[in-house]
Amino acid sequence: MSVAAVTVSHLSKSFGGREVLRDVTTEVHPGDVVGVIGKNGAGKTTLLETLLGFSPPSSGSARIFGEDCMQMSTAAKARIGFVPQQDELLPTLTGYKQLALNGCFYENWDHALLERLAREWEVPLDRRSSTLSGGERQKLSTLIALGNQPDLLVLDEPVASLDPLARRRFLQQLLEIAGDASRSVIFSSHIVSDLERVANRIWIMRDGNLLWDGETDALKQSVKRLHIRARRPLPAQLDVAGVLTYRREAGDTIATATVRDAPESLPQQLAERLDAQVECEGLGLEDIFLEIHA
Amino acid sequence: MFILNPHSSVPIYQQLIEQVRRMVASGQLVPGTELPSVRDMAHTHTVHPMTISKAYSLLESEGLLERHRGKPMRVAATRRDQLSVAARVRQIEPQLDALVLSARQLELSTEEVLAQLKKKLGAKP
Repeated sequence: MSVAAVTVSHLSKSFGGREVLRDVTTEVHPGDVVGVIGKNGAGKTTLLETLLGFSPPSSGSARIFGEDCMQMSTAAKARIGFVPQQDELLPTLTGYKQLALNGCFYENWDHALLERLAREWEVPLDRRSSTLSGGERQKLSTLIALGNQPDLLVLDEPVASLDPLARRRFLQQLLEIAGDASRSVIFSSHIVSDLERVANRIWIMRDGNLLWDGETDALKQSVKRLHIRARRPLPAQLDVAGVLTYRREAGDTIATATVRDAPESLPQQLAERLDAQVECEGLGLEDIFLEIHA
Repeated sequence: MFILNPHSSVPIYQQLIEQVRRMVASGQLVPGTELPSVRDMAHTHTVHPMTISKAYSLLESEGLLERHRGKPMRVAATRRDQLSVAARVRQIEPQLDALVLSARQLELSTEEVLAQLKKKLGAKP
């Protein structure tokens, strides 16, 4: 097993007595593209910023490349790229100057890569950032994060203002990085369909908890929706392990249940127990996300 | 060459495996055919390279694909004749399950579904 790029252990964070992050433990390995999803206020940004050491954890710890996030060496910091939710571009600088300025801080700054990507992504580098559109600013601030060829790239909602074509190009660039197998990406987004494509791992955040942490494929395979149709009214509660949601309708003879980690025999068992017809359906990531929050 | 739907409930690697199996079984992919590299596949479909390599590795362990050092994955020497009818039926099972589900929802009789299926398959009713 390769050395983890990120190790988060029992990480909690409070702001003014409110716990925003609760006892989060996880790891990111080289080659991983981790997709972070959660409602607004679920703690995604706090998790990303705390594990990068922007502010001290209330308890627990995070390590980046084996170093404590609060005492990272310059060498470790130089291996990180970060795109914040709100870009930090200097309004009076042109894209060229902005890139050159950031490049000063790194030894391995890849000007050639950035110029190529700027062309591909259609970022007008000759304009001041104050005159750029939201999408152009987002692309420029992503370029800056890629300049030092980071081994760990952390992106907080990087695609919200991008059009579908720009998003696709951006995702392909992320995959180039992940294809390297020694580099990793953590990527929060509300565009679940993007994460479903490129993320091999998913973190689902809810109320500061890391509710799900696992492979995208495993998540998809573990959550099933059951459609139950009975001749008699169905019980008010479904007595099954791992039920996420259960809704009855149409005179209580039809019901829908979402179940986590259901054994393969569950539909058959339920059909016999409830004297009903039970159909089992797999779910895409967006539906799973919605069911978890239902 | 392949149709991958990232938003399906079926994991992407599983979709790829099933398609390769079917195409090999049907002879669309003949022994020696080179498959696109992991990198190209990942780029074309914009999916994580691990997803593609996972599918390729599983297909390799099944003996359906062969890996040659420094070369693309290739369809292994003939397997079509070795695949029993039972094995090929297993491969079509997901589609059959989907058909059965839809047929039940539409409350179509077994006879009706079979008749339609026979027609599609080109058999005389």
